[in-house]
Amino acid sequence: MSEPVEDALRIVGLSHHKAPVSLREKLAFTPHDLRSALGSVLARGFNEAAILSTCNRVEVIAVARSQTADPFQEIRKFLSEFHQVPEQEFTPALYQLKGLEAARHLFEVTASLDSQILGETEILAQSKEAYRAAAEHQACGPVLHKVFERSFFLSKEVRSDGGISRSQASVSSAAVALANKLFDVKGRKVLVVGTGEMASGIVRALRSAGVSEILVASRTEERAKEFAAREGGRPCLMQNLTDHLAYVDIVLVSSAAPHYVILPEHIKTAMAHRRGRYLCLIDISVPRNVDPLIPDVVEDAYVYDIDDLEEIAREGRRERELVAQRWRPRLAEEARELLHALQDQGVHDAARKLIAHAAAQRQEILSQINTSNMDPRAREELARAMERLQGRLLHGPLEMLKQAAREGEGSDAAAWVSRLFKLELDPKVINDKDGAASIDKKIECSAPPPEIPASKLRAGAGEARPPRPLISDSGESTPRQATS
Amino acid sequence: MSPELLSIAALVCFIAGTTAAIAGFRVEMLRTSAWQFGFVGLGLLLKTAAIGMTCAHSPTHFFNSPGEIAALLAWSLAFSFLVALASSSARSLGALILPFVVVLMILSLVLSREGVDHGMSPSRYLAPHILAAFLGYGLFLTACGASVLYLEQTRLLKRKMFNVIFRDLPSLERLERLEILCAWLGLAAFTVAIATGAIMANELNRPFWLQPKMIATELTWLIFAALLVGRAVRRLNGRSAAKFVLAGAALVLCTFLLSHPFARPQAATANVPAKGRSA
Repeated sequence: MSEPVEDALRIVGLSHHKAPVSLREKLAFTPHDLRSALGSVLARGFNEAAILSTCNRVEVIAVARSQTADPFQEIRKFLSEFHQVPEQEFTPALYQLKGLEAARHLFEVTASLDSQILGETEILAQSKEAYRAAAEHQACGPVLHKVFERSFFLSKEVRSDGGISRSQASVSSAAVALANKLFDVKGRKVLVVGTGEMASGIVRALRSAGVSEILVASRTEERAKEFAAREGGRPCLMQNLTDHLAYVDIVLVSSAAPHYVILPEHIKTAMAHRRGRYLCLIDISVPRNVDPLIPDVVEDAYVYDIDDLEEIAREGRRERELVAQRWRPRLAEEARELLHALQDQGVHDAARKLIAHAAAQRQEILSQINTSNMDPRAREELARAMERLQGRLLHGPLEMLKQAAREGEGSDAAAWVSRLFKLELDPKVINDKDGAASIDKKIECSAPPPEIPASKLRAGAGEARPPRPLISDSGESTPRQATS
Repeated sequence: MSPELLSIAALVCFIAGTTAAIAGFRVEMLRTSAWQFGFVGLGLLLKTAAIGMTCAHSPTHFFNSPGEIAALLAWSLAFSFLVALASSSARSLGALILPFVVVLMILSLVLSREGVDHGMSPSRYLAPHILAAFLGYGLFLTACGASVLYLEQTRLLKRKMFNVIFRDLPSLERLERLEILCAWLGLAAFTVAIATGAIMANELNRPFWLQPKMIATELTWLIFAALLVGRAVRRLNGRSAAKFVLAGAALVLCTFLLSHPFARPQAATANVPAKGRSA
């Protein structure tokens, strides 16, 4: 029998919050490592395991067996031995979570509420990949299936919150958002003046927003060519700046010049050929390379510097933090509900097994009695008497299970019942601390296994139907109501 | 159901649409044009039904009482807003236009609806004339709303004020397109209204082109025509075009007040015999 899920589900990991990149890279797993790594974790006394390894975090998510004395210690040892890094080197940066905290943490990670940039989208794909790898290597069991599937569902819900999707949390996305306030960026042309490091990020963001053409102008032709080759643009001559300004819609300036490179005269000349099209100038250089007076003298030109982008990004981050604050209690509640559902399932499983066991015994005894010379009515009477006997015998244990579940001792009761009747519970058997209310309903309303007609079962002794899965056959998470 | 009840139901829908538009700046759930589309669309349907019922009861109806004029203007403004919303998803336009629709609807219920019924069959051009003229008013005023938003957005962009209004306003390009679309549609509607008006005046042997209201109408038409020509040759755009639209909208209001003097409902059709009839 395995541990109750409250104790069994464990997460040991480190993230950007406390661990520097120099430490994170030492403990990172490559996709090639995963098979052997997951095998090692399982061999250390775990039923299930998954490894989430991204640039910002390394986490081992595992479900411990009851025999495992100290699951946290086992995972720490695994990390140390697998990566050949002394435990004391990374232990101070580690977080060790179990049960409710672990489930809540995984929900927050997948929903990117624990990410460096709140609401970023990569972590969901990375979590899915970790789950897929665990499933592929047969390291994923019922608990991790449910926890991961639920986390993916919740992640989608969090992302559908407009506060996350609408706000810009980085300078690059702020630049795209600003340009989008003038025109639809899709299909526009961009001129990059200078080849500063920050320009790359903004160019990539503009490219993902759908710009059609990128021109790169630099004082050094080689640099322009190199930047253009790297970012998929076309190098052009700095001398023809005015012509380029007339041609493009967005100008991104990131040069190291100590003076203004783009002056009102340049823009005035260019505007004469632009036939009223707006020009968005984004100047991320320090000192600034675009004259800030341009918007005052040229109507359709708009100039933004790095402070403006930072302001938008800061506002976006603040908005995302508000969204995160709104969602964190909900995710904690979801984690609690999921664990309860899993825990209910443990006591329920014990009850179901007990009833099935008794029904099988009854059937066996009935089959041993020679009833061929009995008339049908007597046979029916006998069968009914046996059923009544079964019902009365099981009434006590089932009531005890219900009572124990109500009192939060479902796990012990399930263990006792299974030992007493020599039942074999599923590996996912878990305890019940608060799920007593639902167990009454489940046992009493449950449908019997096929060999026993439902009508002949007494209330309280009826075979329990297997609990409704949290994950549908298609792999889709069932709606929230189904889990509670 | 009576036209009054339908009008009250329409008013409730317009109030809901206005609330959604204004609250949408703050409330996440309302940050979609679907709410406004739903409420205003329903209100428009109800109001159309109310107007239809009124016309069905009185085939010789002239829509010349203050209440009816306000109702018709509210209807045309709501219709134009829906056209704008469908073409550009400019959700924030609702916060500007819909309060006027609500005020006009309230006026239409409060003001007298004792119109002037001539007791004779109107010209067959009267209905298209009224419809086209009111659609023209609505579309020009919506263009004016888009221009106001455009000017505000340029102000925020130039002054780098990245506040909640800035984030909710559409792009300058989209606002400009919306402004021009409404101006085109309004001009087409006004052209129809002027043409049908001229034909009716000809039928009645009445002076037409040099009446004060017609001079204002012609000026309005010219202003918007100049805007569209200027736009077509790329000489008039951006803030200048927006200011042009505002000037045009001021003339639209003059035209409206001259054509439908609220104080003297019978003045618009002063030469015909009057008989009170409830809408």
